[in-house]
Amino acid sequence: MPPRALFVLPLSVHTPPSDASADTSPKRASLPELIDLLRPSFGRYRWQLVGGFVALIIVDFLQLVIPRVLKHGVDGLADSSISHASLLGLAALIVAIAIAVAGLRFVWRYLIIGFSRLLEQNLRNRIFSHLLRMDAPFFEKHTPGDLMAHSSNDLAAVQMACGMGMVAAADALVMSLATIAFMLHIHVQLTLLALLPMPFLAWFTRSLSGRLHHRFNTVQEQFSLLTEFSRSTVVSIRLIKAYTMELFQTDRFDRLGRRYVRSNLGVAYIQGLITPIATLAGNLGMLIILLVGGRLVIAGTLTMGDFVAFISYLAMLVWPMMAIGWVANIVQRGLTSLNRIHHLLGCRATLPDIADNGEPPLDHPSFSLRGLHFAYAPGLSPALVDIDLKIGPGIHGITGRTGSGKSTICRLLARLYPVADGQLFFGGRDVNALPLSYVRNHIAYVGQEPVLFSDTIAANIALGRPEATEQEIIAAAASAAIDEEIRELPDGYASLIGERGVKLSGGQRQRLALARALLCDRPVLVIDDGLSAVDVATEHEVFAGLRQRFAGKTVLIVSNRIKMLSLTDRIIVLDEGRIACTGGHEELLAASSLYRSMYEKQMRPQAEEAL
Amino acid sequence: MRNFGYDEDKRGGSLSDFRIWGRILRYSIHHWLALAGAVTLSLFITGGTLTLPTLLQQGIDGFITAGNLEDTARLAGLTRTSLWYGLLVLLVFATTFVQTVLLEWIGQSIMHRIRQDLFTHILRLDLQFFSTHPTGRLVTRLTNDIQNMHEMFTSVMVTLFNELVRMLGILILLYLMNVKLALLLTIFVPISALVTTLFARLARACFRAIRSQLVLLNNFLQEAITGMAILQLFSREEKSRREFEDLSRGYLERTLSQIRLFGTFMPITEFMSSLATAMILWYGGGEILQSRLSLGELVAFISYMRLFFQPLRELSQKYSIVQSAMASAERIFQLLDTASRIADPARPLAKPATVRGELHFDRIRFGYNPQTPVIHDLSLTLRPGQAVALVGTTGSGKTTLVNLLLRFYEAQSGTITIDGLDISHLALADLRSMVGVVLQDVLILQDSLLANIVMNSGRSRKDVESILSRTGMNRFVRRLPHGLDTMIGEGGHELSSGEKQLLAFARVLCRDPAVLVLDEATAAIDTESENILEEALDDSFRGRTSLVIAHRLSTIRRADHIIAMQHGRIVQQGSHDELMATGGYYADLVAMDRSNGNGEDTASSRLFGP
Repeated sequence: MPPRALFVLPLSVHTPPSDASADTSPKRASLPELIDLLRPSFGRYRWQLVGGFVALIIVDFLQLVIPRVLKHGVDGLADSSISHASLLGLAALIVAIAIAVAGLRFVWRYLIIGFSRLLEQNLRNRIFSHLLRMDAPFFEKHTPGDLMAHSSNDLAAVQMACGMGMVAAADALVMSLATIAFMLHIHVQLTLLALLPMPFLAWFTRSLSGRLHHRFNTVQEQFSLLTEFSRSTVVSIRLIKAYTMELFQTDRFDRLGRRYVRSNLGVAYIQGLITPIATLAGNLGMLIILLVGGRLVIAGTLTMGDFVAFISYLAMLVWPMMAIGWVANIVQRGLTSLNRIHHLLGCRATLPDIADNGEPPLDHPSFSLRGLHFAYAPGLSPALVDIDLKIGPGIHGITGRTGSGKSTICRLLARLYPVADGQLFFGGRDVNALPLSYVRNHIAYVGQEPVLFSDTIAANIALGRPEATEQEIIAAAASAAIDEEIRELPDGYASLIGERGVKLSGGQRQRLALARALLCDRPVLVIDDGLSAVDVATEHEVFAGLRQRFAGKTVLIVSNRIKMLSLTDRIIVLDEGRIACTGGHEELLAASSLYRSMYEKQMRPQAEEAL
Repeated sequence: MRNFGYDEDKRGGSLSDFRIWGRILRYSIHHWLALAGAVTLSLFITGGTLTLPTLLQQGIDGFITAGNLEDTARLAGLTRTSLWYGLLVLLVFATTFVQTVLLEWIGQSIMHRIRQDLFTHILRLDLQFFSTHPTGRLVTRLTNDIQNMHEMFTSVMVTLFNELVRMLGILILLYLMNVKLALLLTIFVPISALVTTLFARLARACFRAIRSQLVLLNNFLQEAITGMAILQLFSREEKSRREFEDLSRGYLERTLSQIRLFGTFMPITEFMSSLATAMILWYGGGEILQSRLSLGELVAFISYMRLFFQPLRELSQKYSIVQSAMASAERIFQLLDTASRIADPARPLAKPATVRGELHFDRIRFGYNPQTPVIHDLSLTLRPGQAVALVGTTGSGKTTLVNLLLRFYEAQSGTITIDGLDISHLALADLRSMVGVVLQDVLILQDSLLANIVMNSGRSRKDVESILSRTGMNRFVRRLPHGLDTMIGEGGHELSSGEKQLLAFARVLCRDPAVLVLDEATAAIDTESENILEEALDDSFRGRTSLVIAHRLSTIRRADHIIAMQHGRIVQQGSHDELMATGGYYADLVAMDRSNGNGEDTASSRLFGP
């Protein structure tokens, strides 16, 4: 018999708010489709499952035997036909059965619950492998919070349904059927009467625990509000003190707190019903047995021993009946979660998936954009319009206002977003005919927001080349003008980054990302405004290094700093998704009013009126 | 995972710390009546539950097996007993429900009170406290720690109390029924206590191991999801997959060891129950054979014994909750005992009826750490109505001056006066009502824009409308979907950073302070907001003493006087034109700012930095 405590729903108050995604559940997939997801695990571990369920069923039967043994004893005692020795034998039998029960319980728990954990792991790894194949549009549609919810709450719900849910279902089924069979064997009418309250119990449990789940979610939301309010208050403490808002905030906190208390009471109303209802149903059954069964004993149609056994059987039925309601909920929740996982695994990347054929990389690759149009989503205004551009060896600068399409070009080159056929060519071939990894392996990329991982600094730099030697890592860091600062850290290159490690400034993070790109030593370097937080002097130092290192290779730098741009071979000025003009610094000063106005704003002392 | 990356060592609190129990008790006293009610109900429930088997026994012994009575009398007696039984069943059901809700209410009310006390207390603490305590930790105290305590409250009160009372009740009953049988059963008490504590300890270690692995797994996943483009661009897919599977396997192994642990311990109570049944059948049966015990008594004894083993299991499950709750309580009370370093003076000066707004900093010396001063003997006077701009690089001490003026911190030496009154002699609320501030961070309440502007200033909607139209800020309000009634904050309309700045301005104008302190935002804002902001700035400077930590050249030029600071000292002062003509530090700052690629979409200025 699974532990009763499990009946308290698996969603404890400490789990993070989860069901934000519950409201936006994707379309329900058919049951066979969902089961297909679980098939591999069920197939692989079928003998483990068979073993577990056999153990479970044996436990159930053994438990039913104990009352029979007791009945023997009581009946024997009632008509004084039993001896001391046979009493001892019966007692020994009970102990032997109890030992077997304990052992077999361990077995089923390990096999079945263990199976649910294996299944969870299998699904988790599948989700992760799937995520690794998804592209940028996918990650825009699915927020990290949503995806995290899939891998924690949804997996937990599936695991619960396939573990304790399955156990409870099998247990309840076997136990109730067997118990009822034993009871029927003793007395048919009495059984039917005693069972009268049980279906109600199952029904109540089901409807109540469904409602309980909803109310738990409300509590979760209230708890999040309370947390967010405390957080925003503590973060803005200066403002609150400056405005003497302490009382004001306390009042608001009080109102939130009261609402939280109320929603908790809402949960208590239901919890206050669930457990007592089970007791009530059991006791009502007992009442019926006492009343009716008692009459039967008086009338002589039921033996005293049967009567006592009947009472024991009834006590055994309370749990399975509660479990049926509980299982229905668990399974329902598991299916909903499984459906979300199914939907997630069904998402396809928009980029063509062509297997890497191991083609050797090009030494001097070039990109050409031919009449390229691009919009982030159908219906959105295009981010790039009619772009004709060749990006070959040399240093190219891209500039333009926010939203002019600078970053979009970088992202398209890196194959993060899909492009139409015949618009983007790599080494003279349409990128849509090339494996993604083939194109990407030519590019070292530095994004706008440096992405660092919770690992050592050395590991972050060596992200693209885990086999790099220490010297190579240091050399890359030196080229990105970050070596000295890394050495000043307490653990140098072994320092950890992130929550528990060192905090780096924006400029340091950007240079670390640059060092990572440099270490890869790929023929194309794309820096998407990746040095914006680095000061001008350092930027120039880094740039001088790049010039040497990338002689004959391709570099693409997005920047708004005119000084920086003036050092490149060619500047591309974008305006609202179109190429406004291209050329060298001097050329553009003469030809482009947009470029000239940027130059003036940055280089000349500002006119008095402009202030 | 709303713990802000902050993970507390979940050490257990000492259960024997009577001071903590004492304080919890003091909070409970407010609800003594309800508590007394709950205890009474608990006794009633226990009594009721224990009477049920007795009734059953009476039914069996008194009527069913009472062969000496007339059949009709037996039947009537049986009906009567059944009626009582049914009545009692319903009563127990109703009281259990009432008690559960009542206890939840008491627990939640007490936790609400503690939470309010703690919140009020935290808001009273000084800024230095906040700079040394991470936000996540304080939020955890206010939310999760209190929740932990509450869990104990309900668990301890419901389980410990109900179950202990029931166990004791059963034991007493069993002793009354048959001393020898009861003695036999008592053997199981110490054994199960031992098993319980051992299990609780092992389970806690097990859960901790699972949790820490889950944190690793989730962090890895979170980072991989947010950095997926980089992982793909640097061809890390295969390696990341392997790393993830390793973490995943680690998690699996830990959950499996938990299953083994539970598999071993969970059946033990049940086993003991069967063992006890066997012993009682053997021993009790022997007693019946020697006619020292009735059959009804034996049956009743066996049913009571079942009840006896239930609480044992419950208790073992609640043990660890109590432990972690005590740790939480200890942390909460510790925080409540932390005193603020800055408080109202014992006998504050009266707030002047009208404030002219003359500010005087006199030989101020201050360091966040007294050994390393960041302000060195600084003196500064602002005449009423004067607008002064503070400029300087990061760490020059501009923000520190504002912190001292608002008494967020106390200067180590020197005094600050407003209209000749030493600010440390004023009540904090009075001081802060004289000085209005616009800070870089803008607190957004989840409420309407109007409520966000008014906050606690007591202004009416009309006042707000007239202030907004006077300063031209109604243009910003008109842009919003529902004007002043637009809901903002989480789940509402998202304000741009420019609009947030405007909101901050509207707030301070509502309060109409004599002295305005403005910490200008460094973040870039859209042109239209900037235009509105500059107009509002003009209006707010009018008739007020203003101290501006300026980042925009346009703001600096609006000031009457510029103070250039470096390393906690004033190095230059004068008007923009004077300082540009003289050359030196200020002129360098301006030059650097311009050369720093002040393009259209980069932050306004970095070198005048935050």
